Amino acid sequence: MILVFVYLPIVQNFYFSLFKMSSYSPTKQFVGLANYRMIFEDDVFYISLKNNTLYAVISVICQVGFGMLLAIILEGSFIGRKLKVFFRNVYFMPSLLSVTAVGLMFYFIYNPNIGLLNGILELIGLGDLKTAWLGNPKTAIYAVIAMSQWQYTGYIMVLLLVAIQKIPHEQYEAAEIDGASSFNKAIHITIPGIRDMIVVCTVITVIGAFKLFTEIYVMTQGGPYNSTQVLGTFMYRAAFAYDEMGYGSAIAVIIFAITFLASLVQIRFAYKGNN
Amino acid sequence: MRRGLLILIVFATLISTFLVAEQVELKFLHRWPDPINQPFLENVVKDFEALNPDIKVNIQAISNDPFKEKIKIVLGTSEAPDVFFTWPGEFTNRFIRAGRIMDITDALVETGWIDDFVYSQLEPFMYEGRFYGTPYRIDAKVFMYNRLLFEKAGVDFVPETWEEFLVACEKLKKAGITPIAFGNEQPWAISHYIGTLNQKSVPEDVWLKDLDPAKGTWDHPGYVEALKMFTQLIPYFSQFPNAIKHAEARANFFAGGSAMMYVEIVEIPYVYRDAPVEFQENWGMFVFPNTGGPGNQNYLTGYPEGFVISADTKYPEQSLRFLKYLTGREVGRREYAEVGYLNGIKNLFDEDEVDPGTWDAVQLVMKAEAMANWLDSSLHARIWDVYSVQLQMLVDGVTTPEKVMQEVRKAADRVRAEF
Repeated sequence: MILVFVYLPIVQNFYFSLFKMSSYSPTKQFVGLANYRMIFEDDVFYISLKNNTLYAVISVICQVGFGMLLAIILEGSFIGRKLKVFFRNVYFMPSLLSVTAVGLMFYFIYNPNIGLLNGILELIGLGDLKTAWLGNPKTAIYAVIAMSQWQYTGYIMVLLLVAIQKIPHEQYEAAEIDGASSFNKAIHITIPGIRDMIVVCTVITVIGAFKLFTEIYVMTQGGPYNSTQVLGTFMYRAAFAYDEMGYGSAIAVIIFAITFLASLVQIRFAYKGNN
Repeated sequence: MRRGLLILIVFATLISTFLVAEQVELKFLHRWPDPINQPFLENVVKDFEALNPDIKVNIQAISNDPFKEKIKIVLGTSEAPDVFFTWPGEFTNRFIRAGRIMDITDALVETGWIDDFVYSQLEPFMYEGRFYGTPYRIDAKVFMYNRLLFEKAGVDFVPETWEEFLVACEKLKKAGITPIAFGNEQPWAISHYIGTLNQKSVPEDVWLKDLDPAKGTWDHPGYVEALKMFTQLIPYFSQFPNAIKHAEARANFFAGGSAMMYVEIVEIPYVYRDAPVEFQENWGMFVFPNTGGPGNQNYLTGYPEGFVISADTKYPEQSLRFLKYLTGREVGRREYAEVGYLNGIKNLFDEDEVDPGTWDAVQLVMKAEAMANWLDSSLHARIWDVYSVQLQMLVDGVTTPEKVMQEVRKAADRVRAEF
């Protein structure tokens, strides 16, 4: 089953990437590696790659880094049990929402005329900072990335929280007897104890960053002037908007290669760390 | 008696089985899944089925942008719709070249069906001398304006020339009124401006040659001139055009937020549906001003939209019957009454049967010497890809008309090399 539904399409996709073909034309023309050459000559490819990388770096810092900080705080002893449950739910809730719905919500928040963000800036006397967040090529990609951090930090936090709960409590008791502060406990017990989960979360986040599509499609469709294109929308645009199915397949092969390599590097890095 | 009844039942069963077996199912794909058009087309289909019991029509609707993507995919499969929506021009021509659309010339000419249509609205469905579709709604681009805001700014004329248009914009701006509402988040909006300016700024033979992806070189200086004229309008547009949707800009215009907007005549129903009464009673329209360029100044930008039949349909006769009904007189009259659109049938209404706005718009279409197709659907997809990005940059002032055309020429060269 896996062979037919997963590996065969991957091989087939590579085969299609060697052709010039459209979805509705009965003929296809063999072009060898020309589609790959075209990708590397296309400026939009480099914009997409840069945006995916930016998304991955910010997501690892915010979702994994900040998520870990939240998890450590919420598992600490300085917050009451009821508050812990409350905040866990509050942070986790956005990840349950559909990306499309969240995208539309943020689309309105960022609206330059009626949006909440510009309204707040005006209210607190920072009216000069008002801009068309999704229409300005300097801010658009960051506006989309910010939405994703809002949505998924809670999800990563919960994964890390579960890992923290599995650390034997005796380790913390021993540290307390030795007079360790909360900071020292976090650095010397919690973080090493959830190392595997941190690696898993980082892999999930990085792979997610290179598979990014819906957020961009809903909020900017790659605009203004391609400033928010990512590899997913770049591929979609080539295949479905411009009928370049072979070109689209070649982009898909590159996305596959990048995510595959990124996972290998991270897993190898994690194994080395364990050894 | 009982035996007779039995024979009758067996006979009736056989007849009904025969009839059911004869009923064919047509797949019908359109692009209006909204609460006004969708129920209308469902009722049209129901009425057609009642008149044609041998045909069942299965409807599928996909909204504008996803439609453009989906149609390319389904036409390459065995699930291609029998009758489907399309925009005439290059959008349709590529499917014709790939043999995906049925030639209906004989059906149109031999039965006299062709005489039902206003020829200028049918002609866009012609490719290399053959007809491939029929118009479902006619469309054209005009400037809609708010008479109250014109009066407030002391603009006591309707602009007919480019110079007058700029004077009106300046007076409005000085009076603290945003002259033109413009929402260009989806760059088809700017394509309507540039398409019109290109047509008016470039000699007709050159312009038509450049629209052909196999021949277009885009090196006439008129294209740069067209963009320079467009840049003269940028100071008069509403704020953040690249971040605003056309519909949002229109809502702001209806609410009195700006004085003019370049709209399609199919948007007139929105005036009566969505605009405040004050606007409904104080709006007017005028055609794009005469630019004095070498292109024909009596053209109107806009093209009809319509339906075609898949070349792979198993039921060409039934599909033709449905197409004839769908784009015919009876549906045309209901179409105006229920959704506000006009189809391409001749003498569909008298003046007293339609609202004055629609009547005026139709007269403008009839007076035009010819229609100029929308720029985005008349261009090869890869040329439009580059053009649209460059035009958005031009709106933001981060490129120049010369650079825009340099990029367009490069894209056109690449496309031309493939033909």
